[in-house]
Amino acid sequence: MSTAGDDIAHEQAQEHEALLQFLYMAPVGLVQLAADGAIQMLNPVSAQLLMPLSPDGGLTNLFEALAPVAPDLRHLCATFAAPQGTICDAVRLYVHADERSGGPQVMSLSMLKLNADRLMAVLADVTVQDRRERQLRKTDAWLNAIMTNITDYALVCLDRQGRVESWNESIERVTGYASAAIKGQHYARFYPDGATTEAQQLDRLREADENGWTLDEGLRLRADGTEFWGSAMISPLPVRADETTPPAPPADDEPAYCMIIRDISDRRDASESLRKAAYSDHLTGLSNRRAFFEAADLELARRKKALRPVALIVIDADHFKAINDRHGHPAGDAVLSHLARTMRSVCRQVDVLARIGGEEFAIILPSVALDDALAIAERLRAEVECTPATYEQQPITYSISIGVAVMDDTLDGFDGLIKRADQALYAAKRRGRNQVACWEPPAAEQP
Amino acid sequence: MTLHAAIPFDQPDLAALLAHSDATALDDLGFGVIGFDAAGLVQRYNSFEAQAAGLRAGRVLGQDLFLAVAPCMNNFMVAQRFADARADNVPLDATINYVLTLRMRPTKVQLRLAYQPGAALAYVLVQRS
Repeated sequence: MSTAGDDIAHEQAQEHEALLQFLYMAPVGLVQLAADGAIQMLNPVSAQLLMPLSPDGGLTNLFEALAPVAPDLRHLCATFAAPQGTICDAVRLYVHADERSGGPQVMSLSMLKLNADRLMAVLADVTVQDRRERQLRKTDAWLNAIMTNITDYALVCLDRQGRVESWNESIERVTGYASAAIKGQHYARFYPDGATTEAQQLDRLREADENGWTLDEGLRLRADGTEFWGSAMISPLPVRADETTPPAPPADDEPAYCMIIRDISDRRDASESLRKAAYSDHLTGLSNRRAFFEAADLELARRKKALRPVALIVIDADHFKAINDRHGHPAGDAVLSHLARTMRSVCRQVDVLARIGGEEFAIILPSVALDDALAIAERLRAEVECTPATYEQQPITYSISIGVAVMDDTLDGFDGLIKRADQALYAAKRRGRNQVACWEPPAAEQP
Repeated sequence: MTLHAAIPFDQPDLAALLAHSDATALDDLGFGVIGFDAAGLVQRYNSFEAQAAGLRAGRVLGQDLFLAVAPCMNNFMVAQRFADARADNVPLDATINYVLTLRMRPTKVQLRLAYQPGAALAYVLVQRS
């Protein structure tokens, strides 16, 4: 015969079991961790999402488990000063796992600080949602372009090759160019040096042919050399229907596109800070993984339409763990920021500079072939070697290893290109670090 | 055929041995056993596993393994390998290091994934490392 005490204990055991099962089945990942990232509790969906990132790891520390996709997470949590509150809310992490594996490509992460030594994380697979939003964003950009208040705009006609076909007064009003100075010039004249390449400009025209329009936003140049933040939309002019003769392709110097340039400097601050939050690495200000992989997809899609070189440089700070151990994490952060600044100093504006891991960086170089990519990589390596970073007035010398690879037709995607650049990087490390290596095909495939 | 606690986790042909063992024999083993059918529903669940997870077999039997019982294995490292083996009609017997979330604590384990073409059940075997 059972006593009342037994009944209560039995009921509690049942409830405990039901609660356990509730957490086992919860469709989002929940993790409780200490301030240093040590995982105290986690539910199954967290392990499902985290294990593919660190197949050999033991899931003992969340910052380490997420380091490949969120290198600045430790920094973000450490610098969160309030005693409690939301550290980040539904930040997107770009896993870019092998697509064949069918795993999540994009995860959402929220971090909450409960007290000095207790954090909670919520993880979810948002791959499908992210894809849908990317399509919506394109539509948004288009709507922005036509719905926002227009104070002034220049209307420009371009020929097949993207040269300014005729002058009108709106061009002078917005860009300051007189007729003789701009007629017949390529529309790249409106871009600052290094902000675009010839291949990229032609791509935009082809994109307009295919989609009916193309839009891009960025710094533009006036005739007097001053810059403004501009939005430019290019759309093909309708082909005039002629009943009697079959339509002939327009001659090279006939007007073929209409371009509208608007000065939107006023809106720049708002849209820049939004863009920064979503697309920048918190510590270095370089592109984050999300921006990097989106840019890579775009560049490869363009390469498919018009063949031209694309080079990839991956960079790793040598013995970075030792720097952290010897000088502390803030000094390590100073080294990473220094490296980011040095990268900016040797690159063009059109290059995509990104932090893609803890101490791993990458640069996509559009329209750059192997020789030039190697030269840029070597310049970067030498610059880092001879200018140390500084932290609290102390110089910290460090070096970097670099792997270089270029896209070719035997590769069917960006993952393959990254793998080659990574292999080159490992070769540079193996040969003693502080050097540049370029990807080489395996010996068996060489004649 | 009888099984007892002395049968090791790495015993060859373990899946065939388990298929011919009754529930009492599975309960005697010193590692976790989860058997699930082609629809992914849990059909066998031994007491070692029940003890480790804190859930009795009654709560688990008949549930979808990768959705409701062990979502942590629902990725290309585990679930996908069973799906591939069934689709290609090839045997699967692989042991991997993994982390389970038994009672929400990260727990290092070895998982042995076992499937024989034509067999009604596939097995996930769990050994604490």
